[in-house]
Amino acid sequence: MKKTGFLYDQQFLLHDTGRFHPEMAERLQMIYKGIDQADLLLHLTSIKALPVDMKWIEAVHAKAYIRRFEEVCLAGYNTFDSQDNQMCRETFEIAQLAVGGVIETARKIMAGEIQNAFCAVRPPGHHAEKDRAMGFCYFNNVAISAKYLQQQWGIERVCIIDYDVHHGNGTQHIFEKDPTVFYYSIHQHPSFAYPGTGREFEQGVDDGLGFTKNSPALPGQGDSVYKQFFENDLRPAVETFKPEMIILSTGFDAHIDDEMSDIKVTTEGYSWMTRFVVELAEKHAKGRLLSVLEGGYCLNRLPELAANHVKILLDM
Amino acid sequence: MFVSRSMTIKVITVKRQSTLLEARSLMDTHDIRHLPVIDDQNNLEGIITDRDLRSAMPIRVKDKETLQAQKPDFADLKVEDFMSANPVTISPIHTIQDALLIIQKETVGACPVIDENGKLKGILSVRDLLRTFINVLGIGEPGTLICVLVEEKVGQLKKIVDAVTEENISFGSVLVARYWEKDKRALFLYLLTNNVTRVKKKMKDLNFEVLDPMQWYLEQLPKADQG
Repeated sequence: MKKTGFLYDQQFLLHDTGRFHPEMAERLQMIYKGIDQADLLLHLTSIKALPVDMKWIEAVHAKAYIRRFEEVCLAGYNTFDSQDNQMCRETFEIAQLAVGGVIETARKIMAGEIQNAFCAVRPPGHHAEKDRAMGFCYFNNVAISAKYLQQQWGIERVCIIDYDVHHGNGTQHIFEKDPTVFYYSIHQHPSFAYPGTGREFEQGVDDGLGFTKNSPALPGQGDSVYKQFFENDLRPAVETFKPEMIILSTGFDAHIDDEMSDIKVTTEGYSWMTRFVVELAEKHAKGRLLSVLEGGYCLNRLPELAANHVKILLDM
Repeated sequence: MFVSRSMTIKVITVKRQSTLLEARSLMDTHDIRHLPVIDDQNNLEGIITDRDLRSAMPIRVKDKETLQAQKPDFADLKVEDFMSANPVTISPIHTIQDALLIIQKETVGACPVIDENGKLKGILSVRDLLRTFINVLGIGEPGTLICVLVEEKVGQLKKIVDAVTEENISFGSVLVARYWEKDKRALFLYLLTNNVTRVKKKMKDLNFEVLDPMQWYLEQLPKADQG
């Protein structure tokens, strides 16, 4: 069995998105419940939210954006940058705690205290741009972690794999000119799904050309197409890039029962994908894998998806 | 939607007496394929296209030395002898719909835009139209596509707009397409949100059918073949 970290904190439930919003606190509770009821907690290294050194958030986001987010939040507005982004007075603080927790988790992996980890955080991050909140996301948790790993631990090549059903526009744009971060996303085709980016021809810009890869799947497609994309697109790209660390943007919303998309990945399909990523991390990155929650809105399926995810990280 | 809003205003032009080599150089520099020909008073006299140049100067070799050696052969060729003297033109107050139909009917790649006095005001190329339509379709803005099947009768769209508005969601675009079933229409709603689950449910509650877009596409295929 591996030493696997699990970041979870009740404070993440305090980010209140109001009634009827799909990105609700119950998501995390269902994830926790699934892991708890599968008797996995005793095997996991528990990690809690931590305040963050703002320099890490500023490594990705514009200072003016961070200030604007803080002001809008403290002024009591319930949306920020788009109607999609419902929030409350605590949101700014919780978003920082989420980043702080993920960075602490990354630190533990680098310090050898754990080998890999699953971070069950809210709010999610992969749509957040340098200077714009989008798609329920405020701070780009995975992008900030990648910067932290590079600047604090001297990691030269970070690979971010994103299997949330939506394209991680924020993560892509933040690193599109950066040849030291390879970004791979598999998602529902942008002509049908939010946010409308992530086409195959988006492959990076300038020095970063060739360090972004997108695999858009059509509505109705599922396990078999996803497996082909992983084998034919992801595997060779990672073999070439040879990352020293893998970060996984873990969105469970490609699941067949998740109403946010028309992609039909099964529970088994998710296990297959997670195992695939774990094996890539073992082969190239000494097993170092930082999995960070993004989307996933089917409350009935989140328990089993989270439990399976953690079991695979634990190598149980 | 008027041509004046979509056309390129800073037009690269040539004179009748310009040489073809000058025209070639302008097209290469600016990565364009159409040059309006004007006189000193900015009156449109014609248009010369990339294809005109290729026909007049059929250089097939790629290596630069041969190219340079051949240049003198073409040095005397003038634009006026190869241009189209009466090009298809449009006016700034034509609509984009007019321009689409004209460009399709006349099979041209671009139309000079002239005012009522024959002065050149701009040029509208297929590229400008593409940019316009990318904009119209809202492709650049983050959103989600939903396909809804409705009966063809008055007031259907209103119900849908009301339902979406109740959710506080903005529209990127709405396309109405013919459906193969008689008296039905497929509506493609591009909604500027990531949050569509409740809208989808509302559509179903209103007894509209929410179509799987791929299903729609696949069922269209044989229809297209029968054409």
